[in-house]
Amino acid sequence: MDTFLRLMTGGAGNLAAYLAAHVLLCLLPAFFIAGAMAALIPKSSITRWLGRNAPYRVSYPAAAAAGSLLAVCSCTIVPLFAGIYKKGAGLGPAITFLFFAPAGNILALAYTGSILGAEFAFARFALCLLFGIGIGLLMAVLFWRDDASHDAQTDALFAEQASIGPAATGVLLSLVAVLIAGTLKLWPLTATVFTMSLPLPWAEAWQATLSQWVPFDAAKGEEGVSVQGSLLILLLVLIGLAAWKGLENIVEGANHWTWVALGLAAATLLVAALGVTPRAGGLELALTGRALALGLAMAAVLHHARRLGAEAWQAWLWEAWRFVKQIFALLVVGVFVVGVVRQLIQPEWIQSLVGRNDLLANAVAVVFGVFMYFPTLVEVPVARMFLDLGMHRGPLLAYLMADPELSLQSILMVAAVIGRPKTFTYVGLVAVFSIVAGLVYGAWVDGVNPAWITLGLAAFVGSLVAVTSWLLGRRRAVPARA
Amino acid sequence: MKTVKILGPGCANCRKLEAVAREAATGAGVEAAFVKVSDMKAIMAYDLLSTPGLVIDEKLVSSGRIPTQAEIRHWLVV
Repeated sequence: MDTFLRLMTGGAGNLAAYLAAHVLLCLLPAFFIAGAMAALIPKSSITRWLGRNAPYRVSYPAAAAAGSLLAVCSCTIVPLFAGIYKKGAGLGPAITFLFFAPAGNILALAYTGSILGAEFAFARFALCLLFGIGIGLLMAVLFWRDDASHDAQTDALFAEQASIGPAATGVLLSLVAVLIAGTLKLWPLTATVFTMSLPLPWAEAWQATLSQWVPFDAAKGEEGVSVQGSLLILLLVLIGLAAWKGLENIVEGANHWTWVALGLAAATLLVAALGVTPRAGGLELALTGRALALGLAMAAVLHHARRLGAEAWQAWLWEAWRFVKQIFALLVVGVFVVGVVRQLIQPEWIQSLVGRNDLLANAVAVVFGVFMYFPTLVEVPVARMFLDLGMHRGPLLAYLMADPELSLQSILMVAAVIGRPKTFTYVGLVAVFSIVAGLVYGAWVDGVNPAWITLGLAAFVGSLVAVTSWLLGRRRAVPARA
Repeated sequence: MKTVKILGPGCANCRKLEAVAREAATGAGVEAAFVKVSDMKAIMAYDLLSTPGLVIDEKLVSSGRIPTQAEIRHWLVV
């Protein structure tokens, strides 16, 4: 019974920490941005660079941009992957797109940044971009015959042109401003403008009750539930209820619940940006520069959103709500389970297995990533758990690169489109590249001289070029079966 | 009798599209047979880059978004 209680408390404590203010300040705007990207960026504004006749230097960056901007869910990833491969720029850009999408999209970046740190998010982004293009080029060279066999079909699918309208651009930019105002840890955002005391005598007792419900050990880096946290959780539940009534049928038009849900979402962000401290006999509120900046940025969002057509903003809200339904519920369950599992793992196991940055540790991390499947974004709290238990940041990055790319589900999907031999090659390449990425980032974290890292990376790229040119040489030797 | 195909691997938007399309057909008083297409190869036979796709009598009328009931009624009647 004691063990059961300990596990449940572990899960609840983890969940509470993840619903804390700093996570909501990143996740809530990120859902709105993801929705805006899905609804307001016309796909053809990027896909027109992915046609069969697009030159390499255009199609690969365009594929990465598509992965970053268009592909927040499988609704787009699978058809766009198959479309680029069969009817567009070919296997290489399709692979680049597929590899970069899980790491380069806004939800993954913002969430990784808030849970594991901005530096880690940047490393994940940069290395996935570099290696995504690398793997794409290698696949294109290895299977050049395959692309040649796709006859030049009509390019109509990729010929359509469109650009993002000024109102949509304004909405996207001001949403990004909301995200930055909420997450950046810089003066003047962190400054307190003024403080006031609310005469709420129950605040201190309520904090004591919360700490009793969810006990935590600050020494272990655990966070409990604060008064502010409990208010945020209440607001989230209310948003959920209002959104269910106001956003479920938004495509047919808005009702007053829609405005309630949006108002509550804005209130949640503002509450999360305030400093809330229970004191003897009252609650101390601190108005921060962050809250002011958030207010301004949200006003800018409103200003630009009013210029959007009804169909556009309705589609935006629907997409944002769909992402919340699809991802947030699974994330809550996932975070709870991670908290439970954490109680069962001894830190010594993790430290002895992946506590260092060597080949074995990185390989173990990649194999774990391939065989484990976690729903979208749950890989991030899992990674945080391993980090807290003593995993080295190098292997951690290797795991984070391999896990979303190579779940069994995605391997089966890729196999259905490009066939088994190419899929196995792809899986092998991702494994090798993930291990190299982990070693490189781990060396950087360990403070190895950047010159050595550059040299190592240069040696890796050099051998890659050597292998590729050897394969290219073989390609010329074989007469093309036109 | 119209044939309405919903193209999509079974994501949230595809289910939503089917619900909207069924209501639109009822609203317009059009008799329609609904077919769900979830096989990727069959989906890619149509020219689309994102799901859900809506096909009425073998013609792709929309993809990558959920049209309104009014739009679908218009396509069903034409």
